[in-house]
Amino acid sequence: MIRPDDLHAHEAATLASLEGASSTAEVDAIERVALGPDSPVTIARKSLRDANPEDRREVGMAVNAVAAALQAAFVESRHRLGMAEIDARLAAERFDMSLPGRAPALGAAHLVAQVWDEIVDIFVGLGYTVASGPEVETAYYNFDALNTPPTHPSRLESDTFYVEHGDDPEGVLLRTQTSPVQARWMESHDPPVYIVVPGRCYRRDAVDATHSPVFHQMEGLAVDTDITFADLKGTLEYFANAFFGSGRRVRFLPHFFPFTEPSAEMHVSCFACDGSGCRVCKGTGWIELLGCGVVDPNVLVSAGYDPTIMSGFAFGVGIDRLAMVRHEIPELRYFFDPDLRVLEQFQ
Amino acid sequence: MKVSLRWLREFVDLPTEDPRRLTEVLDGLGIEVEGADELAVPFSGVVVAKVEAIRPHPSADRIRLVTIDDGSGGKEVVCGAWNFEEGATVAYATVGSVLAGGLAVGERKIRGILSPGMIASEVELGIGDESGGILLLDRGEPGEDFAEMVALPDVVFEVSITPNRPDAMSVHGIARELAAYFDVPVRPVTVDGSVGAGTSAVRVRIEDPAGCPRFTAREIAGVSVRPSPLWMRQRLRAVGIRPISNVVDVTNYVMVELGQPLHAFDLDLVPDETIVVRRASAGEALTTLDGVARVLDPADLVIASPDGVLGLAGIMGGGSSEVSETTTRVLVEVANFEPTGVLLSGKRHALRTEAVARFERGVDPELPPIASARATDLITKLAGGTVVGSLVDEYPGLHVPVTVELPEHEVERLLGVAIARETISGYLSRLGFVVAGADPMLVTVPSFRPDVSRPADLVEEVARLHGFDSIPARLPTGGGGRLPSEEVIRRSVRSTMIGAGYFETFTFDFSDIDEIRAFILDPEDPRGNAIRIRNPLSEEEAYLRTTLLPGLLAGIRTNQTRNRSEIALFELGTVFLRSAGELPDQPRQLAFASVGRVAGSSWEKTPNRDASDAIGMIETLFASLRTTYELEQRPCTGFHPGRAAAVMVGGRAVGVVGEVHPSVAEWFGLDGRVEAGELDTAGFSPRRSEFVAPSGFPPVVFDLAFDMDADAAAASLLDVIRRGGGERLERAVLFDVFAGPPLDRGRRSIAVRLTFRDAERTLTDEDLLPVRREITETVERELGGRLRGV
Repeated sequence: MIRPDDLHAHEAATLASLEGASSTAEVDAIERVALGPDSPVTIARKSLRDANPEDRREVGMAVNAVAAALQAAFVESRHRLGMAEIDARLAAERFDMSLPGRAPALGAAHLVAQVWDEIVDIFVGLGYTVASGPEVETAYYNFDALNTPPTHPSRLESDTFYVEHGDDPEGVLLRTQTSPVQARWMESHDPPVYIVVPGRCYRRDAVDATHSPVFHQMEGLAVDTDITFADLKGTLEYFANAFFGSGRRVRFLPHFFPFTEPSAEMHVSCFACDGSGCRVCKGTGWIELLGCGVVDPNVLVSAGYDPTIMSGFAFGVGIDRLAMVRHEIPELRYFFDPDLRVLEQFQ
Repeated sequence: MKVSLRWLREFVDLPTEDPRRLTEVLDGLGIEVEGADELAVPFSGVVVAKVEAIRPHPSADRIRLVTIDDGSGGKEVVCGAWNFEEGATVAYATVGSVLAGGLAVGERKIRGILSPGMIASEVELGIGDESGGILLLDRGEPGEDFAEMVALPDVVFEVSITPNRPDAMSVHGIARELAAYFDVPVRPVTVDGSVGAGTSAVRVRIEDPAGCPRFTAREIAGVSVRPSPLWMRQRLRAVGIRPISNVVDVTNYVMVELGQPLHAFDLDLVPDETIVVRRASAGEALTTLDGVARVLDPADLVIASPDGVLGLAGIMGGGSSEVSETTTRVLVEVANFEPTGVLLSGKRHALRTEAVARFERGVDPELPPIASARATDLITKLAGGTVVGSLVDEYPGLHVPVTVELPEHEVERLLGVAIARETISGYLSRLGFVVAGADPMLVTVPSFRPDVSRPADLVEEVARLHGFDSIPARLPTGGGGRLPSEEVIRRSVRSTMIGAGYFETFTFDFSDIDEIRAFILDPEDPRGNAIRIRNPLSEEEAYLRTTLLPGLLAGIRTNQTRNRSEIALFELGTVFLRSAGELPDQPRQLAFASVGRVAGSSWEKTPNRDASDAIGMIETLFASLRTTYELEQRPCTGFHPGRAAAVMVGGRAVGVVGEVHPSVAEWFGLDGRVEAGELDTAGFSPRRSEFVAPSGFPPVVFDLAFDMDADAAAASLLDVIRRGGGERLERAVLFDVFAGPPLDRGRRSIAVRLTFRDAERTLTDEDLLPVRREITETVERELGGRLRGV
């Protein structure tokens, strides 16, 4: 019969060997022996069945106490050694975090497309709808419907690309502006009209720093019963601040465009120097941004609107130009360059 | 155009002459100032002096001793020039004066004689390049400040005039605008409309009154053509015009001053002394003053004699009747020409003269007699001569003044600011309009403002004088904005492409036909028959693109030649296809092309791209745009015959995907396999996403591998599995493909993992036995595939 003293001796011996354990595997081995079928704890427990009540009580209490103490010791040792083992394993798994990563591939939208979406969103926020139309357009929509006289120089072959389509050699062309979309829109929609028309346009210009036969423009048009020059100013001032950052001052100078009367050119105070004069604004403090004006009554008439009741304003802005100005792109040709050294900078 | 402040002063007394302030005012009037050049006096201490006596230098032959009166008594200076005699008026640099380039003038001993100061030449004064002798003056009193004589200092404004403002193309016109702004009077041009003795033999016949509404001719006899006096030369130089001779200088002077171009002929060189204004006959020749021999177009309006063409009307004179040093009889032409004709002729002959710049805007038809009188006056003063007879004035296109009704409210309706009627009327009057009536006001437009004919035009005039700055700003509420779905799809496609590592690029819409046909190899493919631009910039840019891919392949080449090896580009753009309709078909497309390794980190090897990458790009695009599609493997022009497929949506081909044909890649100079695709973005029609709550029951998963013919499409196997799997088939993922032993030659194994789940209960393997059998049998029957032992 195993006595409580034997059990306590077993406990002490086991704890002593546990002291020397250096891994959870050793702890497991010690546990298997110390609490296994041949261990004094198990043998004592088995002998309780046949023991007299007095012994049963005495030895039973000792067995439970020793078993509980040992189990607690094993948990504690396993925890202690387990932590150290994890630490050691993780230390061995050290990864050089300065190595270049396995990044998901990331391309970039073209800068002009980014600016395009940005300015469209500004106007959508102001309640405008986006309209679009064909790039190869009829001379009627590109010129006639927009108050352009038949002899106007912009119709010359030196200025406009004509396309071989149909019988009239001057009937179909690459649109020189996005304005034909305005004419198409007004033809099929009653006022009020609040639209912006971003798009690609073409003029017969050779490529240089600021010209390209292909360029991008956005036109805006608002026609309603109570639209004035004041609305034009308020809208474009809002736009300039949204695009270049708040605190921009704008000025409107009289100008001339065939589709508007009065017409104006809008300048915005330089975003780079705040108007004191720098490289971006060529020392003037102002950046010439866009052309605009009150819609010419002839344009309203050709759309079938009554110019004595309806009035409106229109503006046209070069999307490429906005991008060039804000991002200080020195030459327009970079926008048509497939060189990744250019495109990667648009990320 | 250049305008000098001193010249403006002749017509208006400005309350300020501060160049910055005047720039602001002109800008605000719509006369854009591109620069204000402040001309300083290049010398100091120079006065006018009169030569009183000349004697030889006692010890030198080539220099003389000159006694001058500079207003403060006589002085004797040493002078090396010989181009003057006693009585000449000269510029005297006093002791202590400074000449151009900072040369200080003192008392200097020359060959033993002390010279107090010196007589100066143009070059020494820094006002010209004449250095052959001293500067001789034609006027000036001894002691007078010489700077004033050469009109210095001055401010020269470079202004840009909009095409609608012929009236502002002159000193007088700009003076008129400034006077209106400052509300001060503008002085009229002083002219002497005198009639000369005798009768002029000059006859004028206008054969094309539409092209030439008015023509005046003035004969002046006995002129002596020589260089203009200093003041004239200085004034022209200040505005950037090179002085030529007194007669020619006067024509330029009057043009700048009044905005009316004019031309002087040597009357002795005008056959029959008869001027005919007519259209050129086809093939007629003219050598213009610039020495260029030109063949005229029947649309060109010309000034001719009965013997032939003398000049291009309103553009440039001809060499045959040019005024020269031997000219004694001058005919001064001051005419009015129809703007568009001049503009078109000017463009045709690539001549952008000062005259064109004015006539193309529409010169005041009432101006010719005034300009003619002004020129006559100046010529007789500068070149001598006398007027012969009276002015010949043919005026078939008599100007009828326009009167516009302006309702008072119209100003507020268009500008958004209320302006009192008296103020409106005041603004218009200051600008030369005559206002009568009350509401509506009856406004008569002056002849120099052809751009004004409607109320809106008058509102602009009011706005200019009121100041655009004085109009308030108001933000209208708009009409409810939205992006159309095609714009939303375009943006979605773009972000998917960017997320897949592609860079967006922009290319021109026109290209070389060879480049298009290098890709569209199939002669039956209509895209090889691209639409031509009738007037291209060059043959390389003569055809409208029918596919975006050649542009991208060229882009890859650009990058490969710059030593890049991993390249992925895309473009969203329009292509142009022949159509019987009013306009060509213009679908908006997406194209992408890539070459090199797939993305990874820079230090791990990743595989090279192959057709699978192109297929995967299509899968991602259609998944992100929630559109169902199928690939139909078939040869597609420009692509590898065994590695291409049509992209089908709803039974219609919307695009193509695959590997670019190696020969095409070679034509474009590309290295490596190029994976590409092109789609009509209208093919994307995102369906509404539908939500199904995930089942809480466990799945049954098993794999099936089939030994199949190597040419049987993987998609057909998946199709059979999906059909046979029924509603409980949650996923079927192809996870392994291999060929070779133990399979027979021409066979391959395709393995698919099937996941089944029921929404209502836990499935057992037994539940799926019939499904498994059905699939196996169908694969065997339809595809000749044998289930392999798993």
